[in-house]
Amino acid sequence: MKLHKTVPLDTVNLESLGFVWHTDSDKSSYISDELVVINPIEAEAYYEAGNMLYEMFIEAAQYVIDNNLFHEIGIPFNLVEIIKESWENDVHWHLYGRFDLAGGIDGKPIKLLEFNADTPTALFETAIIQWAILKKNGLEETSQFNGLYEALVENFQRLVTLEESVESFYEKYDGWKFLFTSVKGNAEEENTVKLLQHIANEAGYVTEFAYIDEVEFSEEEGIFFEGENYELWFKLIPWEDIALEESDLAMILTDIIKNQKAIIFNPAYTLLFQSKGILKVLWDLYPNHPLLLESSFEPLEGQKQVSKPVFGREGGGVTIIDEQGKELENIPSDYENHKMLYQAYTELPTDSQGFSYQAGVFYAYEACGLGFRKGGKILDNMAKFVGHIVAE
Amino acid sequence: MKYLKQFSTVASATGLGLLLSTGLTGCVGGGDQQTQEQQQPKGAFVIIEETEPGKYKIKDEFPADETRIVLKQLDGTERVMTQEEMNALLIDEEAKIDNGTSNLTQPQMSSQGGMGLGETILASAAGAIIGSWIGSKLFGNQNYQNNRKAGYKTPSTFTRSQNSFNKAKTSTTSSKKSGFFGSSKTGSGSSSFFGG
Repeated sequence: MKLHKTVPLDTVNLESLGFVWHTDSDKSSYISDELVVINPIEAEAYYEAGNMLYEMFIEAAQYVIDNNLFHEIGIPFNLVEIIKESWENDVHWHLYGRFDLAGGIDGKPIKLLEFNADTPTALFETAIIQWAILKKNGLEETSQFNGLYEALVENFQRLVTLEESVESFYEKYDGWKFLFTSVKGNAEEENTVKLLQHIANEAGYVTEFAYIDEVEFSEEEGIFFEGENYELWFKLIPWEDIALEESDLAMILTDIIKNQKAIIFNPAYTLLFQSKGILKVLWDLYPNHPLLLESSFEPLEGQKQVSKPVFGREGGGVTIIDEQGKELENIPSDYENHKMLYQAYTELPTDSQGFSYQAGVFYAYEACGLGFRKGGKILDNMAKFVGHIVAE
Repeated sequence: MKYLKQFSTVASATGLGLLLSTGLTGCVGGGDQQTQEQQQPKGAFVIIEETEPGKYKIKDEFPADETRIVLKQLDGTERVMTQEEMNALLIDEEAKIDNGTSNLTQPQMSSQGGMGLGETILASAAGAIIGSWIGSKLFGNQNYQNNRKAGYKTPSTFTRSQNSFNKAKTSTTSSKKSGFFGSSKTGSGSSSFFGG
């Protein structure tokens, strides 16, 4: 693979942007000082893959709902109703998600690893930081597959127009207030949410930020912060955490949706996409599809594979298993008692130092931006973000 | 491909360039944030339809500077109700609320075919405005909230009108819950890739 060396951004610069998680716990920089160089054909292939996969996910989610497979793919029972409600009505618009993909460079085929549809991070890095690297290095005229920022502006407007065109936004927008929420005490999550709030401001919304424990919920009246009612609510809090840790909240939110008191982003049905269990449903619906890896709830016969918990994060609980069923690598976690998905192993592209690279393709109404992460065989929370450029 | 771009184009098309020069902290969460204070309409324009003799439903309603109620009667005639008519109906309805016979405060109101005219008006946004002096008797009454919904002709009217009004809330007695994830575990430092 081709890498392009750059002058790194300094921390003062990064922090002024609100990007404060620039250094990992081992004191190394979280942002790589290299850029992955891809060609326009590779960029186009990532774009097409994202769009095709989204269509397939829609089909798979419909199949899960029609055949009542919620339990099979690990969806907590107390979210089934809100998932169905949100799926039924177009106002529950999917704001954005991120496909994690293997391959796509070095002549390797693109393969779906998973879809982070509910609470995707790496937004700041992809939408802002890799542009800032270009700017700092005098590469303003160099191309990137990166329209994530403007795609989000437009998709925010679509929450009101509910169609491809956003022209009627100002005519239809009626001052509905948009509350942005994260948990307290995690700068990355908080600033990711504040970036989204900033983009929503640019799109034309009246917005506010609040920590989750300050937000008030009422089945009958909706969502409140400091006495103000908010019709629109974005939360960077996984739906399954709401279901498992705050089941009262899951119940109240279900009623709020049923009473049409607020619209929540990302919608509850994105948990169907987020569950790795849906990868097995995809494989059943599209066996041997070139973008998919064989997936099953049982260990695969005689092939190298990965087992991962249906709702794991940061590589937690992921195990690489060889053809004989021997464990090669494992990242321990609290996810051990989750249901497991077995997925055929695919070799990630590697650089000369042996780092593995994984592509993240963002999707906001269509595939709209690309970023890479590099790390070990299993990408965990010590993985680095790597920007990219597109060159012939 | 649509999103294959150069920094110069993206920066000129969006606020990204500005964000890179001023940073997020310069424009989010500070006290200098611009919020467009919109002039909120003070009244409502309501169309009420007679669905069967003496039974009414709200067909549509919009925010308006002045409160007007248009009545479409069974025989096809349409007329604008006078302030006196509205007041008389509301006073009548108030008496029913006081003696507990108003359908609006019954747990299971029969929404078959609609409500009486006074009830329908009160269930509309106009009613909330005109009848604010008796509204306080209804607030906090759960049955009223449910029955308001029954007064609407279609769910979409309900959604639209809910969205059309600045639902300035006086304090009500209904309970709100907060404090969720109050003792939440903080994330994992430098890069918490949710789901990733």
